[in-house]
Amino acid sequence: MSFFGFDANLPRDQSHRANAPGFSQTPDAFAGLGASVGDDDVIDFEDTYDGLGEQLDETDDAFNDDTFGAGPATQKIVGKDFDFAGQTSKISNTLQEEQMLYQARQPPPPAQQQKPSVPVASKPARSGYESYHDPNYIPQLEARADIWGLKPKQPAPERQAERQEPVRYEPAPAAPSRKMMSLEEVEAMMRSRGVAEAPPAPSVQPTPAQAPAPTLHQVAQSQSQYPGMSSPFAPQILQRPPPQQTHHQGPPAPRQQQIHAELPGQGVPSQSAQQPPNLQRQRPQPGDAPVQHHRPAPSQGQGQRPPSQPRQILQNPNRLSGQGEPMVQNGRPARGHAAGHNRGPSYPGMVITHPEQLLHLSEEERAAYLEEDAKRAKRNHKIALLSRDNGLMTPQDKNFITRIQLQQLMSATGNLDERGEEAAIAEDFYYQVFTQIRGAHRQTPQQPANQFAQTYLFQTNSRYGPRRNGRAGDNHMQRMEQQVQRAVEAAKAKPKGKQLVIEGSLGKIAFSNAKTPRPLLNFKRPDTHVKPPRSSVADRKETLRNTEAVYTTLMHMEDHERAMPPPINEDSNPELIQQHMEWRTKIEALHRELWKNIKIMEPINPHSVTPHPFISILSLAKGKKAIPRIFRHIDEHERITMVTMIVVHLDSLSVVSNAVATPTEPLGPAIREEVELFTLSVMAPLLAHISESPLNIVIGLLGLVLDRTNLQMVVRSKIGMSLLTILISRAELLKESAPEIDSSDWEQWTEFYNRFFDTVEPVLPLIFPGTVNDTDDTYVWNFLAAMGVGASPEQQQRMVIGVKDRVMETVSVSKALPADMAGSRLANVNLFMRAIGLDVELLG
Amino acid sequence: MLFFSFFKTLVEHEITVELKNEVCIRGTLKSVDQYLNIKLDNASATDELRWPHLSSTRDMFIRGSVVRYVHLPQSAVDTSLLEDATRREAEAAKNKAK
Repeated sequence: MSFFGFDANLPRDQSHRANAPGFSQTPDAFAGLGASVGDDDVIDFEDTYDGLGEQLDETDDAFNDDTFGAGPATQKIVGKDFDFAGQTSKISNTLQEEQMLYQARQPPPPAQQQKPSVPVASKPARSGYESYHDPNYIPQLEARADIWGLKPKQPAPERQAERQEPVRYEPAPAAPSRKMMSLEEVEAMMRSRGVAEAPPAPSVQPTPAQAPAPTLHQVAQSQSQYPGMSSPFAPQILQRPPPQQTHHQGPPAPRQQQIHAELPGQGVPSQSAQQPPNLQRQRPQPGDAPVQHHRPAPSQGQGQRPPSQPRQILQNPNRLSGQGEPMVQNGRPARGHAAGHNRGPSYPGMVITHPEQLLHLSEEERAAYLEEDAKRAKRNHKIALLSRDNGLMTPQDKNFITRIQLQQLMSATGNLDERGEEAAIAEDFYYQVFTQIRGAHRQTPQQPANQFAQTYLFQTNSRYGPRRNGRAGDNHMQRMEQQVQRAVEAAKAKPKGKQLVIEGSLGKIAFSNAKTPRPLLNFKRPDTHVKPPRSSVADRKETLRNTEAVYTTLMHMEDHERAMPPPINEDSNPELIQQHMEWRTKIEALHRELWKNIKIMEPINPHSVTPHPFISILSLAKGKKAIPRIFRHIDEHERITMVTMIVVHLDSLSVVSNAVATPTEPLGPAIREEVELFTLSVMAPLLAHISESPLNIVIGLLGLVLDRTNLQMVVRSKIGMSLLTILISRAELLKESAPEIDSSDWEQWTEFYNRFFDTVEPVLPLIFPGTVNDTDDTYVWNFLAAMGVGASPEQQQRMVIGVKDRVMETVSVSKALPADMAGSRLANVNLFMRAIGLDVELLG
Repeated sequence: MLFFSFFKTLVEHEITVELKNEVCIRGTLKSVDQYLNIKLDNASATDELRWPHLSSTRDMFIRGSVVRYVHLPQSAVDTSLLEDATRREAEAAKNKAK
C-alpha cells in the first residue's frame, strides 16, 4: 500500500485513510474537548484541526470535565452497559485518535499532514500532541463500534482514562486475559518493555513501572478478542508508549525496534532466550486481572488496541501469510504457550503458561495437557492455512469485482423493459411479436399493447404463418369461386343465343369449321417437356442471397413503417413536417431498394438457360412467402409488373412445370406442398389483384399466357388453371357488369378466348389431376365453369364432349357416396353444368 | 437471445427434453432463462422402465448445458416469424461485428 509513496513495509496506517469506514478513525485531536467538536467518529483530523490546538492551554486539562461536563453522566451509562465490545471500542477510539494523529504527523508523514507537525514538534509545552513525536507511536486500528449499531462515546471515557486514573489507561485485563502468549507476543513484550521503560516521563505517567505488565494484558486481550488473528502485531501495540511519556523519546531507536517487532521471523531467534522470564512475568497477571477488571472503568483499557490488527492486515496482506508460521511454531506443545489465540479454553483443568508448571503436573494431566495443546496447535495451523490468503483483496478490489459482476448480470438478463420498445423488439423479436399475434400468456404486464404493437400485429396478421395465410388464401379461393359462380349466374340470367342441346342427353353435334377445325391429332407435348436444367450451385446461392436481400429490405421497411411519425396537418409544426419528409425520403429509398432486390426488372432473356432471377426467387419457399409482404409495399404499377412477370413465366415456374399430375402419376408430397404454399402466398395477392383489374389488363395477361407459355401444360397444373380461371371469370364479370365498354376490347377478348379455347380443348380430358375418386377437383370444375360461361354455344358443346366421361363418372361415383359427400361432388359438377346451361339433374 | 426468446413462447406447452445422457423427459415447460435452463412441471421420463429413478420426480429443473434436444409442439411454432427473428438476429450480429 503505497498510495502516498510511502514505504509499504513501514508500519501501519501511514498511507491508509484513517477515516475509511469500518476502521478506526483518525481521532480528533480535541477529543478531550469532544463536545465542542462533536462526537463524529469519522471526522478526519485534517478536517477539524485548524491549528487552534497549539494555542490551547493544556495545563488545565484536568478541569475539562468540569468545563464540558459530559463525563460522569456518560460514565454511569457506560457502567451499566454490559456490551463490553462496544465499550472497548469506544475507549479505544479516543486513545487511538491521539495515536493516529501522532502517527499522521510524524515524519515522514503524508504530504498533507506535514504542516501541522512542525509547530507541534518544536513546542516544548504540553500541547496534547506530544505523544505523536514518538515514532513508535502506533495508531489504533479497529473496527468501528458503530458499525455494530453501538453509539461511540469516546470523549468521556478518554478523559477519565487520562485524567482521573492514569493507571487505568493501561488495560484492565478482563476475564479473557487468562491465556497463554505466543512466542511473538512474548518477544514483542520484551521489546516493548524496553521501549516503554526507556522514556523518562515519570511526572506525566504516575505509574511507569506498571507499564510493562499491563501491556501484556493488552496483548492477551487483543488475542482473546480476535482469536483468529495472530500475535505478531501485538508488539506494536505494546511499543506504543502512553501518550504523555512518548513525548520525550528520540525517534530513531524506537522505530528500529518497531520494525523489528513487525517482522517476527527476525525477532524469534534473538529473543527466544528471554521467553521464560516473559512467561513468568506474564503469568502473575491473570491473577491480578479480576482486580483491575472491577475498577470503575473496566472497559476502558480493554480493547483499545486489538482492533489495530485487522487494519494492518488489510494494509499489508502479505503479512498474513507470515502470520501463520509463527503461530505454528509457537504452537508446539513443548513451548506450552502456543495457544495464545484460543477462545474458550479447551483444556479446562488449568492454564499452563510456565514450563515449570508442566513438571509439577501428574503424568496423566500432563498427557492431557499436551494432547490438548497439540489439538490447539493443529487448529491454529488450520486457521493459519485457511487464512493464508486473507486480505489479498482490498475493499476497492472487492468493489470492483462486485461492480463487474453486477454489470454482467444486468447485461445478461437484459433489462428490456427499461430500454424501450424498439430495443425489446430487437432483442426479443420472436417472443414479443409472437405473444402479440397469439395473444399468448403475457409474462410481464407492461408488455406492449400500445399502438405500435397493434400496427405490428396488423402487419403480421396479413403475412405470418401458414395458418394466417391459409385463411387469407382460402378467402381468395372462395372469392374466386364466388366470382365464377356470379359469372355463371349472370350468364344464366342472360341466356345467349340458341343452344343446340338435345334434352335429356349429353350427346351433341360436334361443330367444326374452317377456322377451328377439330384437331385429329393431339400431341401432348407437356408430357415430354424438358425439365429446366438444374441451376448451378452458384445460381442457387445467388438466388438465396437475393432472397435474403429482399427480406432484409422488407424488414427495414417494416421497421421504418413502425417509426412513422404522427400524421401531419396544417397546424403541424415545421419540425414534425421535417420528420415526415425525412421519413418519406427514407421509405422511398427503401422502396427503390426493395424493387431492385426483387430483380424483377432484370431483362427477360427468353433463350437463357437459367431462369429469370425473379422466378428463381419464386422457386424458393421463402421467396414465395415474401411475395405477399412485397405486395404490401409496392405501388399499383409495380404490382401489375409483378403479375405480368409471373404470368409470362407461368410455365417455367416449378409449381407449374413440375406439377402436372396424371391419374397414374400423382404429384409427390414435396411438390404438392410447394403448390400449396404457392397458392397461399403468391396466388392469393395475384388473384386479388387480377380480380380488380380492368379489362385491358386481363386481356393483356391472357394474351401473354397464350403467346409466351405452353398453355396446354399450364392448364393442367393447379396453379395455371387457377390463374386462367380468374382471368376468364374476371372478363366475364366485366362483360356482364359493363358491356358498354369499348367493343374493340371485347373483340380482342373474344379472339383471345377463342384461341385459348382451341388450345385447351384437346387437353380437356386430361385436366383432371386424379381419378374420379379424387375429391380434390373443385378447382377444375371451377375452371370448366368459367370457361363454359365465356364459351359460345358451339364451344360449350365441345367442352361437354371433352369432359363428358368425367361428368358421367363423377355422377355415378357420387351415387355410391354418403349424401353430404355426394352432394358436394355433384355441386361441383353442377357448377360447370349450369355454366353451360345444363344441370346434373338432367343426367338423371 | 433468439433461443431464449423462442423458448419463452413455449411456456405452458408440453415439450420433451432429451438430455445428453439420453434421458428423455416430457413435461410442461414452466420457465426458461437465458442459459436455457428449463423448468418442467408434470415431468416424467418417456421411458419409465429405463429411468425408474425419475418416476418419483414431478417438477424438474434442468440445467441448460445438459440438454441435447428439445422436442417442440409443432403447432406452437410460427415458422415464418421464427425465420424473420433469425434474420434480425443475424443482421444484428453482423452489425455488431462491424
